[in-house]
Amino acid sequence: MNTNVAAIEMVHLVKRFGNFTAVDNLSLTVEPGEIFGLLGPNGSGKTTTVNMISGLSAPTSGEVRVMGYALGTHTRQVRRLLGSVPQETALYEELSAWTNLDFHADLFGIPGREKKARIEAMLDLVGLTERKDSRVSDYSGGMKRRLALARALLHDPQLVYLDEPTLGVDVQSRRAIWDYILALRQQGKTVLITTNYMEEAQELCSRIAIIDHGKMVALDTPTELKQHFGGSVLEIETIRSFEDLDQLRTIPGVQAAEQMGNSLKITTKAGENVVPQIINMVALCCEIREISMREPNLDEVFLHLTGTALRD
Amino acid sequence: MFQEIAYQLRVVWACAKKDFRAALTDRLFTILSLFVPVNVLILMSLFVLAGANAPTAVVMGDQGPYAQAFYQAMSQAHSFRLQIASAAEAERLITAGQIVAVVTIPADFDAKVQQNQPVQVGVKINNLNTDFTNDIRRAIPLSITSFYAKAFPNLVNVSVQEHDLYAHDTGYVPYLGVSILVIALMMGGLLQSGTAAAKEWENQTIKELLLSPASRWAITVGKMLGSFIVSLGSTVIVLLVLIVFVGVVPINWGEMFGFTLLSLVIFNTAGTLLGTVIKIRQPVIALSMGISLPLFFLSGAFAPISFTTPLLQVIARIFPIYYQIVVLQHAFHGFALNTLSLGGNTLILIGYALVLIILVTVALQRTSVSH
Repeated sequence: MNTNVAAIEMVHLVKRFGNFTAVDNLSLTVEPGEIFGLLGPNGSGKTTTVNMISGLSAPTSGEVRVMGYALGTHTRQVRRLLGSVPQETALYEELSAWTNLDFHADLFGIPGREKKARIEAMLDLVGLTERKDSRVSDYSGGMKRRLALARALLHDPQLVYLDEPTLGVDVQSRRAIWDYILALRQQGKTVLITTNYMEEAQELCSRIAIIDHGKMVALDTPTELKQHFGGSVLEIETIRSFEDLDQLRTIPGVQAAEQMGNSLKITTKAGENVVPQIINMVALCCEIREISMREPNLDEVFLHLTGTALRD
Repeated sequence: MFQEIAYQLRVVWACAKKDFRAALTDRLFTILSLFVPVNVLILMSLFVLAGANAPTAVVMGDQGPYAQAFYQAMSQAHSFRLQIASAAEAERLITAGQIVAVVTIPADFDAKVQQNQPVQVGVKINNLNTDFTNDIRRAIPLSITSFYAKAFPNLVNVSVQEHDLYAHDTGYVPYLGVSILVIALMMGGLLQSGTAAAKEWENQTIKELLLSPASRWAITVGKMLGSFIVSLGSTVIVLLVLIVFVGVVPINWGEMFGFTLLSLVIFNTAGTLLGTVIKIRQPVIALSMGISLPLFFLSGAFAPISFTTPLLQVIARIFPIYYQIVVLQHAFHGFALNTLSLGGNTLILIGYALVLIILVTVALQRTSVSH
């Protein structure tokens, strides 16, 4: 394995199912050691892209390389380097946690003399040692995710892929899983995440690619994406409902304005200082109770770029 | 090279072990899988036993030696289950639907036979079942001929000079019992391996297998081995029922074990292919049941396939069941049911097994996981 090459390199990747193009000419590079987030609404092509990266699905055209190995010609080498946590966990629920890990160890050819110690270490890492002999079907959603993560890490992969790693888990387990993922970066592993949680992407990812209709619509760090999207978001609470929203929208530098009851949310364009003008116009109409200003969050960036909320 | 082979063999064993463990946890289904083949065996045996001889009452109006001889001729016709009854009792039995026919030997039977005068044996048939009705219609004249041939050998000038191919006759039940063994193996193998394969897709655990660096053939063989081990359970039960309770004992035990195991391999591979292609357990179960019965009837279950029409013979030869019945009939009864040698039939079966293994591997190779 060449350590100087990109962890993942996709070049003009296309995947078609009949007339439907699920992934449309996607090119991007994931650097070694980074946590990379792939974001997009349902059906945007995230999972199809990841299936091609892991060799589960062959691209219609284009090329994927993982740690320098081309999928298609070196698929088995790629699989040795890749640890996956699928969305549905893919655990054998009728078997115990230990048996699941034991089976995985055999599938990945972990030497017999190391197997027991590695399984113990992974169970310890995800805090499931005491439940190692319980059937997985008796586990909570969070425990299953942790076990799936332990399984993905068992063969010491260089690249870890997590599909919606905290979907359906409680807040406590979510925090724990985030900590495990952040620890992976400390170990020099590359992590690829698909997620629907903006908070998660912001917390974990060094870079984010936003995909919509199979195409990449943005690629940057979370901070850069937010800065690129807009200047700031002004939230004004009034005593009574503001009645001239359209006039507010005509102010140069206002990117968007929306109203919910007595609350106004105005997004300004980057580099435009129109806040005094906005406040004056609102104050003329009704008394202001509270004003706050903040940078846009990733949800708003996503909405702006794709025209849809992430959970749609 | 050696390391690679050792690794793939480890994968084979790991997959087999995992499937075996998973099957044991699914107790209800495992019990069902074990007993479905036995059920089939019992069902078919009952069918055969019920259809073998027609229950018939004989009203002995005459007790003379000729009347007794006629009764003996009927009992040796292999078509009746006879009981002697009074006229009233016989009438009650046939009215109640408990017997197929009443044969009445008239009071002057001996006298008329001695005087060489025509005598009428009364036959009343409950003709609601053509099969039984025809049995009676064929067997009564046969009994009369047989009676005359023994009682008056000088009067019957045409006789049969029989040369048998085999040293002993084979009853309907022993012949069919072997065919039933094949269908029981088929159902057990298809159900066990088909559902084990489809379950991987239903529960999405197939990703764990496909994302591993293990070769597809190692996964395929491992899964088949797991199902094979579970199917062995039902096979042992079926063989016990067949040999101990039905009394069909093989004349060549080695052949019987060898061909039974080879049949299991073929059916487990076919089931794995079915599960891999269909990917859902319910249709796999329905299809396993649905294809087993027609193939069973098509493949010479009741009599050698060469006794049927040429078209049926061609169709039957497409499927491995035909060859399995051929080799197992040889193992149990020493029959040669086709013109191929035993080795030739065995090679064809091994060919089926290999082709099926290749097909499963290709099916797994070409598969892609949807989301």
